[in-house]
Amino acid sequence: MAGLPRRIIKETQRLMQEPVSGITALPDENNARYFHVTVIGPKESPYENGTFKLELFLPEEYPMSAPKVRFLTKIYHPNIDKLGRICLDILKDKWSPALQIRTVLLSIQALLSAPNPDDPLANEVADAWKSDESQAIETAKAWTQKHAI
Amino acid sequence: MSAEMKSQDSDNDSDYDQSDHMDEDEEDFCGYYDNDTDDLDIDRPKKTDDPEYFEYELLKVEDVERLLNEDVEFLCSCLKVDPHLAKMLLQVHQWKKEFIMERYKKDPAKFLVDSKITPAVKYKSAPLGVQNTCSVCCRKLPSDYFCHLSCGHVFCRECWDNYFQVQILQGVTSGIECMENNCHILVPEDFLCRSLSKPELRDKYTKLSFLDLVNTHPQLRFCPGPNCSNVVRAKDTRSKKVDCAQCKTIFCFGCGMEYHAPTDCATIRKWLTKCADDSETANYISAHTKDCPKCHVCIEKNGGCNHVQCTKCKNDFCWMCLGDWRTHGSEYYECSRYKENPNIANESVHAQAREALKKYLFYFERYENHAKSLKLEEQTLSKITTRIQEKVMINSGTWIDWQYLLDAAVLLKKCRYTLQYTYPYAYYMEKTARKQLFEYQQAQLEAEVENLSWKIERAEITDRGDLENQMDIAEKRRQTLLKDFLEF
Ligand SMILES: [Zn+2]
Ligand SMILES: [Zn+2]
Ligand SMILES: [Zn+2]
Ligand SMILES: [Zn+2]
Ligand SMILES: [Zn+2]
Repeated sequence: MAGLPRRIIKETQRLMQEPVSGITALPDENNARYFHVTVIGPKESPYENGTFKLELFLPEEYPMSAPKVRFLTKIYHPNIDKLGRICLDILKDKWSPALQIRTVLLSIQALLSAPNPDDPLANEVADAWKSDESQAIETAKAWTQKHAI
Repeated sequence: MSAEMKSQDSDNDSDYDQSDHMDEDEEDFCGYYDNDTDDLDIDRPKKTDDPEYFEYELLKVEDVERLLNEDVEFLCSCLKVDPHLAKMLLQVHQWKKEFIMERYKKDPAKFLVDSKITPAVKYKSAPLGVQNTCSVCCRKLPSDYFCHLSCGHVFCRECWDNYFQVQILQGVTSGIECMENNCHILVPEDFLCRSLSKPELRDKYTKLSFLDLVNTHPQLRFCPGPNCSNVVRAKDTRSKKVDCAQCKTIFCFGCGMEYHAPTDCATIRKWLTKCADDSETANYISAHTKDCPKCHVCIEKNGGCNHVQCTKCKNDFCWMCLGDWRTHGSEYYECSRYKENPNIANESVHAQAREALKKYLFYFERYENHAKSLKLEEQTLSKITTRIQEKVMINSGTWIDWQYLLDAAVLLKKCRYTLQYTYPYAYYMEKTARKQLFEYQQAQLEAEVENLSWKIERAEITDRGDLENQMDIAEKRRQTLLKDFLEF
């Protein structure tokens, strides 16, 4: 891990020693800035029981700029688009260098519990969510069954 | 303009009369934008007669810097605060001096909190020891490596430096907040400049920050002209016409886009977005040739005028609708009016979508066609200039004698320009009596502009008095339309 900033080393150690419940984040063997992430779908959400794979990358400027995070598992969610990109304020203009990988992943987990169709990234999904929420939740459950279990 | 221009030598007396008359007209046309001073009637100045009148000044970068500094100094002395704080307050509150003074004098402490300059509650960190850990870089460092903003969140100097570097490289120079999560205290300029280790980034900051100041200042706008660094200053911040004296760009003060009266800024943005989105659907329109509706010979349009005469059968027709030009007289001009299907509400969704597209294409086609005509008339203007040059060289009249032709071409451009921008306006208008009035005036302007264009293209066989009369009518139609509908 030569040349790796102390901050990243510290965060990685803590992620391994005190893992967050429902979340795993493992650094890649060849690249300590690249993490293989899984997030378990939160209870009582349409994503319950699903295991969602994500990738997280710490750019050169980290922690002065936000990590880059993307869903690899297909997911039906108004704030996550087809390419797995996530609409989350702390990953964009609300990023603070005091935030950590841990806090980012917790926020993503929270986003699965509370989709926000008023700030959409996937427009069709957000429209579906707003016009018929129970139908949209059914679709999200079906997608979870199909892709995340 | 291909044939010989009519010589002015034959009739000297009438020439004299006409030049005198011309001087007055020229006042009306060319002096329209700058004759607010020579009016004696102070209560009712002439500028109120001109719907496009707009008072503004063009500034150089140095002028702007001086102007902004004056504001800072003014606020310093009024509020007895240091220049950094004054500048910060001005930036946060879009340079609204009166508002800042009023609020600051009422309750300075609260105003600074509201302005995100001081915290409502100061963060109490553990007192710094000999060695402390910076929460951003996780390094243990001596206490003099640390600093904080008014909020009290402590980070090491190197982290502040890196943080500002990343912000500046991303082009962010204003609204930079404390590094702590959920702390919205703004970073003062002097703190930032002290923290930056790289001089080249300090320069970049100064440059970007200046752009930002101008862009957020309600009274200032950069000239959008290529490579032009002029700044326009106007007290009145509406969508009005600005003519940059340096690069000759004409633009709207309100939005910085191409000038677009009578359409307002929000509508033109909507229209341009729509045009960009629908560019594929509208592509087929760009035809330079059409067939004569009577003899079917292929005709290429090489002038701006939409009153086209078939080279073979001499049929006069309208380039837009291919209809008989005689039906385009000012009393019966239907070509600019879109006739909606009155029963459309009862039609199928599919039919409604088709109708919506048809309507858009109708307006777009006319808007686009005038833009093209403007380009073609630009060529006419340069041809006229060449012709005049030749005339003057062979002593057939002087530049002054031929000036009226150039004036006519310039006026035509102005009228057609306004006409072009009547189409987005009409497209978004509700179907009301007001729309009927608008379409009536638009049709009138449409007819007179084409008459003027026709006459200018045939200047050699058009009587000068006739042409000047046509100029007068066209400009009056344009003024009338703007007076009634230019209201932002
Ligand atoms: Zn640090
Ligand atoms: Zn703070
Ligand atoms: Zn300019
Ligand atoms: Zn505008
Ligand atoms: Zn027509």
